Amino acid sequence: MTEQVARRPALAHLFWWFMFSQGGVLAALLIPVHIVVQGILGPLGVVKVVDRHYDTWISILGNPIVKLYLLVLISLPFFHFAHRLRYLLVDLGVPAAKSFPAQVVFYGAAILVTLVTIWVLLTTAPISLG
Amino acid sequence: MSAEAETATRTYRPPMGAGWWTRKGHYFWYMVREFTALPLALWLLWLLYEIQRAGRGPSGYYPPNSTAFVIFSAICLPFALYHSFTFLKLAGVILRVKLLDKPLASGVIVATMFGTWLVASVVVGAVLIGFGR
Repeated sequence: MTEQVARRPALAHLFWWFMFSQGGVLAALLIPVHIVVQGILGPLGVVKVVDRHYDTWISILGNPIVKLYLLVLISLPFFHFAHRLRYLLVDLGVPAAKSFPAQVVFYGAAILVTLVTIWVLLTTAPISLG
Repeated sequence: MSAEAETATRTYRPPMGAGWWTRKGHYFWYMVREFTALPLALWLLWLLYEIQRAGRGPSGYYPPNSTAFVIFSAICLPFALYHSFTFLKLAGVILRVKLLDKPLASGVIVATMFGTWLVASVVVGAVLIGFGR
């Protein structure tokens, strides 16, 4: 008698790996330039940066494309970070970080950051195409 | 092999101590790569806070000027660069791209990823600086 094993595509696994890899690529491509320009060169006064004055900062934050960009820039890497930090804990001898509750905490935090980012982007500057 | 036989022949693996990654340079850099997530997450949370502060209005907003913030960013930068180098280099191993029915060499894929990083940095940098005053 042959035993039939129901094979289902691991859609949840696919989703979280997609978010991990996309978040990793985005973090790799975009974060260094933000740190250099907004975190070092701007505060040191080496270059003029958009967040050095309220009017230029609020003006660019109102642009819908910039809002979408910032949402992707901030939220997607957190799905990558959630996975990395979870396995960092596993590697440091905390196997509980593999458990389902740990997954809820780490990926839940990434979802929370996404929701807070959406809220901040929608409430900080009114959408403006000008 | 049945599950029972598999269990019977399973060898004992002594548990590794939490400091296993300090024993070899290769292990250490692997852990540094995993750790990069923490400073990058903190820096992005700061960026989110910076965006939120703009909502306080012209009298409540002031640009980040402190030495502590520059030092914080300067500490985060090497972690960001290390993440970029290691993750973009991985693309040559992970991605399988076919062009005219022939697989693209991994070196070409890695070069494309690093080229994309350069272009993205120039474009984003130009916007951040170009709209500043």
